[in-house]
Amino acid sequence: MRRACIAAIVLAVSSVPADAYEFWLRARTFGQAYQLREYRLVGPDLFLGRRRFTQTLALRIWDIGNFAADRRRARLPDNGLRITWQSYLRIDHDFGLFTSGRVKLTEATRRDAIDVYPELAESVAGLDLLYGHMSIDGLAGGRVSLQLGRVLVDDGWGTSGVDGGTARALVPSTPLAVTVTGGVRVRASSPLGLSAYELDGTSGAGCREYVEGPTPGTGAWKLIDRNRAITNTRLESDYEYCPQRERLQPTIGVAVATSKLRHIGAELGYRRTWSSTVGVIDGVDRLDYPDLGLYPNDFGQAPGSGVNEERVHLRLHGELARGKLAVRPFASARYSLLHAVLDRADLGVRLERGKHGLEPKVEYFYPTFDGDSIFNVFSIEPAADARIGYRYDGEVRATANAWLRRYTGGNAAYAGGSDVSVERDVTSRLRTRLDGLWDDGYGGRRAGGSGEVGWRPTMTSWVRGRVIVLGVAPDDGRPRYVSTSTMLSSTLELGDVAALHLIGESSFDDRQNGQLRALVILDLAFAPEP
Amino acid sequence: MKIVRYIPLLVIGLGVAIGQPHQTDDWSPIIYPDQRIPLIFSHAKHQQRGVACVACHAGATTSRSAVDNLLPTELECRACHPIDRNEPERVVAAAPPARCAACHPGYAPDKPVQRVYLETPPLKFDHAAHVKTPCSGCHGDLSKVDLATRAHLPTMQSCLACHTAGTDQRRCADCHLAKLGGLIETDYPQGSLVPKHSGMGDVHGRGFAKDHRQEAMQLDATCGACHDRSECVACHQGVSRPLEFHVGNYLLTHAVEARRGTPDCSACHRAQSFCVGCHERSGLGNRAPSEFVGTGAFHPPNWIALHPRDAKRNITTCASCHREEDCMNCHSAEPMSMRASPHPKGWRGSAKCKALDSKNRRMCLRCHITQDELGCDWRAN
Repeated sequence: MRRACIAAIVLAVSSVPADAYEFWLRARTFGQAYQLREYRLVGPDLFLGRRRFTQTLALRIWDIGNFAADRRRARLPDNGLRITWQSYLRIDHDFGLFTSGRVKLTEATRRDAIDVYPELAESVAGLDLLYGHMSIDGLAGGRVSLQLGRVLVDDGWGTSGVDGGTARALVPSTPLAVTVTGGVRVRASSPLGLSAYELDGTSGAGCREYVEGPTPGTGAWKLIDRNRAITNTRLESDYEYCPQRERLQPTIGVAVATSKLRHIGAELGYRRTWSSTVGVIDGVDRLDYPDLGLYPNDFGQAPGSGVNEERVHLRLHGELARGKLAVRPFASARYSLLHAVLDRADLGVRLERGKHGLEPKVEYFYPTFDGDSIFNVFSIEPAADARIGYRYDGEVRATANAWLRRYTGGNAAYAGGSDVSVERDVTSRLRTRLDGLWDDGYGGRRAGGSGEVGWRPTMTSWVRGRVIVLGVAPDDGRPRYVSTSTMLSSTLELGDVAALHLIGESSFDDRQNGQLRALVILDLAFAPEP
Repeated sequence: MKIVRYIPLLVIGLGVAIGQPHQTDDWSPIIYPDQRIPLIFSHAKHQQRGVACVACHAGATTSRSAVDNLLPTELECRACHPIDRNEPERVVAAAPPARCAACHPGYAPDKPVQRVYLETPPLKFDHAAHVKTPCSGCHGDLSKVDLATRAHLPTMQSCLACHTAGTDQRRCADCHLAKLGGLIETDYPQGSLVPKHSGMGDVHGRGFAKDHRQEAMQLDATCGACHDRSECVACHQGVSRPLEFHVGNYLLTHAVEARRGTPDCSACHRAQSFCVGCHERSGLGNRAPSEFVGTGAFHPPNWIALHPRDAKRNITTCASCHREEDCMNCHSAEPMSMRASPHPKGWRGSAKCKALDSKNRRMCLRCHITQDELGCDWRAN
């Protein structure tokens, strides 16, 4: 009895009200099975099976702490403090021979595919957190908001992830907002990381170190010796190792943008990512001669750190009109301080009137990569594109696009082309579509077209058939060839949110002489296109 | 290319010539579904007689919900109209009409009166909070209007004229109904609520799922009001082929789009991971024996001589099959190598060389080892 009383008193004193928060989650399961061709020098080509299983979980927990509940009940504007959690987790694995098979390098040497192609680790035993952050909105009278955790950052040219946080503050008495980002860039080697957010140009394998010879300057580059027992696991590469790809990459960013201005917007931003240089790998005495680290550092020439990305970007957009004509001009540019070049820019306008839309624009592209990539040295000649697109969205839906590219520099060259697409609903259950394209100039000629018929026999099933013909005429002396492909697909709705997609594809040409592919996708969170 | 030079002028000219905000004043049939108002009524006549709005719509001053029915009932009409249900044809001299047929068209004593049918708009609205705003501020000038319909209900454009903060995506749910998790509810029996009428440059026309770069890049874009971020990354960082986006036999045709750069492959795929992995595994690369290596099937026989031109202008394509080490086999300055310099004329001393060397010498050290080869001021003897 005494114990019960003590327990009751402790519970009465220490208990706090239980909170239940609104949450929203969406789990999706995908199963994919299809074959890819493996072209071999000797013997018939093989078919590599991909049997991919993917499970995703998106989660939002809304108004943690119930700070906004009173305002909601009182029907007041959502101005004050509000805390929200958002995350997206993905499990992904390919059970097929594509990743788990073996590759014959010579008659005597066979290795696991993932050892020869470590890039395949992308689809092996992946547990990825694409984002996961706590959002704290409504601080300082609604002028400041924070995101803490794995946040996504975007400069208009692509999305990357940062483990850290962002803070956004409205500048008083001005229509401006300042956003500051800080943290560590998400890499494939990050906890629950993925390579899609990583700067491009560097490989996760094939990395070499300089091993000195008997006398200074007589050494050679060799694959980094992992100096560890080969475990022969098929979940990661046993042989190849790139320690620089595993370094932390601190990232900072700041952007000033217009806020709450309608019909016009502008942003000026800066972002910098850097990483420290890998030091000594394993024991320094593992070689006969001084081994001072990943990179030769005999003279102290290896820097303590290096910049991977440093960019300034600017983007503008507007929305104007006269009568029924909507005019949306846009422009953006990005300058890489790391390369001292303007690497991306575009300028255009989207014109819309009723069912018609027209978009002329010019684009500029100078390939740049991670500061650690030697591809930066090879990238010399930028390209400029002029593009125009037309869209009609009536009973017949049509698009037409044309592009013209000029490669500048010492070897000026042109390429260009056009495409047309027409789609029509013949009946409520029958749809047809025709596509045609023609590209020419530098890179060779490609011309072809496709025809598609879509039929909806019942309210819960779709059947589509498509025939593609594509002619290729390389401009480097190789022979011309024509590829043809037929595709038959069906989508069967199994319930409110489940569907089964069945796709069969065949390709015929001189190289593929009858490649067949079959895809089966089970979608347990099916949402048809509106 | 002359045309290209004139495009900036065209853009500026259009902006100057037009110079007025885009207005989309029509109403959404999802927010204001079809109505049936079988009545004869003239707001104009009532206003001419000096009848105030609140005389008939008394609830408008206290209503706090869009669910409230603010239409006057027969009771409000009786305040002026001497209606008597027992006398459908009643006429009172010098008094407002009292006949049933005066308001109910086609009235017949032996038939039921046609009912007014108004769907509740899926909105949150607090009339009481707007009591100081003139009715005409939102409903327009009704002095020349007979029967008011949904055409006289406020559009989002008119709301945003005062509620400038309403363009903040966090504030969308101040007016729109939200579902669990705070996202705007978009599915209604009368259809799906998609932006067409907000005038915020986010119209979701056909093909929007495939091409929405400009809308998504807009500052203060309100995508997150209706869409969870997972919808973006599921496709952009996806591991399954988006069938509506990469249509047809995309394995066969993807090279066409990759060359054009539309869509931008790098927006979703990392060449040195995604592209290299698949190309190499399929035998298009050079790490394993393949019919493509050295046979002229992929690169022409004289590729060694041709490849500098293509690498200079198109290294992104190279990077979709090759790792850096493939280049370094010949281009490294290491001892005993071919030492084929990839640097263009004037590389030393160029702004690009200085920038790369000063910010990340690690890249230089991938090929250059000795002290005398480093730095952009170095000159070959």
